Amino acid sequence: MKSDIDLVIVHDGEKWIARNDEVQAVGRTLPELDADLVRSLRRAGGFRGRLLTVFMGFDFATLPTWVRQYASHYFNRVVRVQV
Amino acid sequence: MNEVNRKWYDGMGHSEDWWAVWLGLFMFGVGLLTIWGIDWVGWQLRPSTWTDFSKAAGPASKNYAGLGMYGSFLTTYVVWTVLTGIGAYFMRLDVKKFVAGWTVLFVIAWVSWIIGHEAHIAAPINDFQKRGITWGLSLGSDAGFILALFVGLMIGNFFKPLANFVKEACKPEWFIKTAIVYVGINLGSYSLRAAGFAFDLAIAGAAATFVAYLLFWPIIYALGRKVFRLPREWAAVFCSGISICGVSASIATAGAIRAKPIIPVLVSTLVVVYAMFELIILPGFYTAVAPDQPIVNGAAMGMTVKTDGADAAAGAILDQLMVAQAAGKGIMWQKDWILTSALMTKIWIDMFIGLWAFLLALLWVYKVERQPGQVHVPVSEVWFRFPKFVIGYVFCWLAVLGIGTLWPAISKAMMAGAGTVSGPMRSMFFALTFVAMGCISDFSKLKGMGRMAILYGISLVVIIAPIAYLVAWVFHRGMTPPLVGS
Repeated sequence: MKSDIDLVIVHDGEKWIARNDEVQAVGRTLPELDADLVRSLRRAGGFRGRLLTVFMGFDFATLPTWVRQYASHYFNRVVRVQV
Repeated sequence: MNEVNRKWYDGMGHSEDWWAVWLGLFMFGVGLLTIWGIDWVGWQLRPSTWTDFSKAAGPASKNYAGLGMYGSFLTTYVVWTVLTGIGAYFMRLDVKKFVAGWTVLFVIAWVSWIIGHEAHIAAPINDFQKRGITWGLSLGSDAGFILALFVGLMIGNFFKPLANFVKEACKPEWFIKTAIVYVGINLGSYSLRAAGFAFDLAIAGAAATFVAYLLFWPIIYALGRKVFRLPREWAAVFCSGISICGVSASIATAGAIRAKPIIPVLVSTLVVVYAMFELIILPGFYTAVAPDQPIVNGAAMGMTVKTDGADAAAGAILDQLMVAQAAGKGIMWQKDWILTSALMTKIWIDMFIGLWAFLLALLWVYKVERQPGQVHVPVSEVWFRFPKFVIGYVFCWLAVLGIGTLWPAISKAMMAGAGTVSGPMRSMFFALTFVAMGCISDFSKLKGMGRMAILYGISLVVIIAPIAYLVAWVFHRGMTPPLVGS
């Protein structure tokens, strides 16, 4: 699937963090994360008024090593946001 | 470096699942060279039932007889250390730590396996006279697996500095998935002789798995929510872990419902520890209670024991115990069919996970935590969660079946090499799995798990095991492995 922005998403034990080199969004829940993403994109400029498709891929390397041998994927999500 | 699955081929270079396929297919391909008279696998050490230690093991092929037991051991160590070391490098493990830990696991696995081949432990009753012994346990030729597990458990629970030392190499899922790819060769070879039985086993396994799914999940979800008051996310992840296939199912479910990663990690700890209890108890229990239902027992094992490693290990022990017990009564069942029935149900379960997680993700995104018009669940999630080692297993199965069917004249030459891969190489990976599983099973981790640990125990004993057995009985009753020579 084509997306306008690709982000890596992780969970630090308390909150979800989605980021790339230009944008970072944080939220205790995924709806909070999405709301913060819109704010971050507005701050970053260049996206105002656009309807964006944002891909978030979970970084599996953040799971403990011992558990990674049982699976190799957590989740990807695609969000449509109006900036 | 992050590990995000974006393209269909992501993970091919660095996931254990894919490396089981690469290691499996590579050695299968090398084994097939015997079709052209080239034996590049005969150096593999193979144990034999022994009373004289000098004859305890030797090269698998006469072409390498000059190596002797110790030369074959060394060659086997060097080749597999290099191959798994390459895998460890690409999987971004610490290669030095991996090789150090692997060496310890390798030695323990082989010593245990060879001890287990001692005639008083392994020889069937009708072989006592031939072996020159007057008594024995008749546990079968792979009784050393149980010893390997015991040594591993000792290390994991009482010698924790050593457990920590070998930790980097403790990859039971990688080892067992590689072994399962090799089991595909066996299944292909057996299918040449008993295609109808193999087909029946596959279909019955699929049907049993489907029915068991429909029963396990809702019952345990309701129990978790209503009786044990688990939050919705915890209940969903927990009941996938115990109902479907352990750690991979709990991770898939947690990902599907976007649960915090700590939830599947904690559930996985329970799964791994309880799988060890299942592995220790169930093979002997099934053998004692239902000695005339070998395939039912195997299929029930596949649906009850969580994690591929523990299931395959339990299936291997069950196969050994039941075949040895039947041999004592003069019934000579072919080896590995009971193990195959345990693997068949487990593999169906593994394949369903991706689909199940996808459906759950749709349910969660569009119903439970609905954000209209915003979030989309990519269909590629099904592929990313598909167990890739199944590709290697099915490929080996169909390749052996295809070659044997189309060119029967070269079947014998093919199995000269492929048989070494599916025989001693496969069993070596089983032995490594047993040691590694023991080393990572720390029972003290159950402390502090509270109601989750209690719910897991109750669900397993009262719901999963009885229903799995009933379903296995419905679909597999009366099936017995073909007889030797049939």
